Amino acid sequence: MKRLDPRTRLAVGFLAIAAVVATRRSSTVVAELIAVVGILPLLGLIRPWISSLKFMLPVTVLVFLVGTISFSLGEALFLSIRLVNLLTLSFVVFQKVTVKEIGESARKIGLPYGFSFILTSSMRYVPLLGDRLAGIMDAQRSRGIDLRPRLRNIPNFLALAVPLLVQSFVLSEQLAMAMEARGFSIKGRTFRKLMRLGPVDWILMALSTGLFALFVSWEVLGSGG
Amino acid sequence: MIKLNNVSYRYKGCREWVLRDIDLRIEEGDFLLLCGGSGSGKSTLAYVLSGLIPHFLGGELKGEVAFQGIDTASMSISDFLSRVGLIFQNSDAQLFNGTVEEEMAFGLEAMGLAEAEIERRIKEVAHALGIESMMDRSPMHVSGGEKRLVAIASVLCLNPHVLILDEPFSNLDWAGGARLRQVLVGLNRSGRTVILVEQRLGQIIKDVSRCVIMENGRIIFDGPPVSSRHYLEKARLLPQYPPKTHNTQSGETLPVVSVRNLYHRKIDRDILHDISMDVRRGEILAILGKNGAGKTTLARHLNGLLKPQRGEVRVDGVRVSQKKSPEMAKWVGISFQNPSDQFFKNTVREELVVGISRSGANPEKRLEELGELFGLKDLMDRSPHLLSEGQKKRTAVASILAMDPRVLVLDEPTIGQDGRFLETMARVLAALRRKGQTVVMVTHDLEFARATADRWIMLDEGRVVGGGSAADDFKAVVVNETP
Repeated sequence: MKRLDPRTRLAVGFLAIAAVVATRRSSTVVAELIAVVGILPLLGLIRPWISSLKFMLPVTVLVFLVGTISFSLGEALFLSIRLVNLLTLSFVVFQKVTVKEIGESARKIGLPYGFSFILTSSMRYVPLLGDRLAGIMDAQRSRGIDLRPRLRNIPNFLALAVPLLVQSFVLSEQLAMAMEARGFSIKGRTFRKLMRLGPVDWILMALSTGLFALFVSWEVLGSGG
Repeated sequence: MIKLNNVSYRYKGCREWVLRDIDLRIEEGDFLLLCGGSGSGKSTLAYVLSGLIPHFLGGELKGEVAFQGIDTASMSISDFLSRVGLIFQNSDAQLFNGTVEEEMAFGLEAMGLAEAEIERRIKEVAHALGIESMMDRSPMHVSGGEKRLVAIASVLCLNPHVLILDEPFSNLDWAGGARLRQVLVGLNRSGRTVILVEQRLGQIIKDVSRCVIMENGRIIFDGPPVSSRHYLEKARLLPQYPPKTHNTQSGETLPVVSVRNLYHRKIDRDILHDISMDVRRGEILAILGKNGAGKTTLARHLNGLLKPQRGEVRVDGVRVSQKKSPEMAKWVGISFQNPSDQFFKNTVREELVVGISRSGANPEKRLEELGELFGLKDLMDRSPHLLSEGQKKRTAVASILAMDPRVLVLDEPTIGQDGRFLETMARVLAALRRKGQTVVMVTHDLEFARATADRWIMLDEGRVVGGGSAADDFKAVVVNETP
């Protein structure tokens, strides 16, 4: 998998996600679930996926409840399974393509280096800001500020938003200075370990595109749409 | 090598001059300690030396700054890459790549070097600093000491003549500090000019060849470290702690906090193993340990932010796990390491009132008391975000004490603080001791703990490995004490 060019991994991943979005039949969405979960052990992702369920399941349960109330039980099940498929595929893509590779791919398709670097850096800082938020929550709870999810506590969440915003601004200013001190804006940068699309990449991308086109036409015609 | 002639500087939009009439010559091979209290202008001077002023920060720069005879105003920021390397205080901002290897390659790619040369330099520097084993790791997920080494490596790859490090020892425990000290001495011995910007003076002053002391934007001393003592004291960089009085309150009283067989595991690692300890009423207890020893995790159990996975924590006989976190705040108040995590009001006064309103005390009287105790009287109407680091920390601790908790917990109260703050904080702790306030202090600052605590326990890898009264020495459990 790692031998493939990141652009190939991204393209295959996005086509798979698009196929799930295009799915209309319940039987297909169940088949997709079996295929998607079945592929996880082959990619060595079963344990991290199980850990990620703690984030996926609450959203899925919410979608299921809203679907049941608004539509029907069948429709709610369909929407919930499709959401699990989508989230799992996105999880696989982000596990198998690093942030750096996403940035490099963006640069290769013509985005300016500065833009693609800032894009990937911001993704990298999400966990850090998450840690900061956890620290702020602890600090405010230690002051007796009630942050439990209650309607009456909504004004208290200002105690999270203000420090997080202030710290984000300070961090972005320091980051800009550190990047500049290491030559971020200098013209004529070289790129080591350049990405190259090989024959296997081209074949895989062509195959995936063909399969996707076939799947969409079969799914749309088969469902009577 | 670098010559500053009558240099003054003020930031964009500010009336106040941060640097005033600075004359300084930095020679090749210097090992220079640039020190001063918070707000003395030392970091700003580092920005001038590294070209960030005027090329990135703008503002108004007067006088001449020359690198090897070339006026730095006529150079561009790229000219500084292979001349001056600056390592920032905040590692989270300095390390912005996905892996240690990418971090080291970033500047080399910016210089437009060929792939083979980039690989060669990375290997050479990684070997020199002993970080080869962490090349594929994320710089965000290594220890504090390792982060510093990666930051140094990322700059050292560019092979600069001058290396400037802004407060490299802050956040490091004694072991990380000792390793860094060795690295810096080695770099200087290999012929590189090293400038350390510091506000805490440990053993490193014994290694440097020259000491420059700043106060209010001016250089007040420039000479050999042996002659600097008088000026260091004048700038209050060597804290003079008040003499410790015998604590009559804590004697044989019942414990206010009692921890029994506390165990905590996170992901695949045991953080705390069977911790048992007592905190007696009215005493100041220091929980010591290196970074990652489990000190903060233990502190988080004291007010219920974390629930015991095994064992129990009791405060005044009541199980902490039976209480909700907002209720526990009135019993055990924790002031965390980063004071900015707490501030969300417009003024210091409002921040303090948040706590006072939970204690039921008379706001005006309590504000008066806290203002007096923490020296905040003149700052009440200022924004907490615009205070100096020391003032922020004092406000943060005062806002916790405002709740009048039975136990006050201070998490790393001295990190990033200068000698002036340490003196003030030691006086505050002495006053709290006289009032019978129970204090638990989590720290790796052994000198401060020695000066202020009645008793200490030492954690290592989540276990209590030692303890004693203030009269006992830490040396039995500490190797390489101060950086």
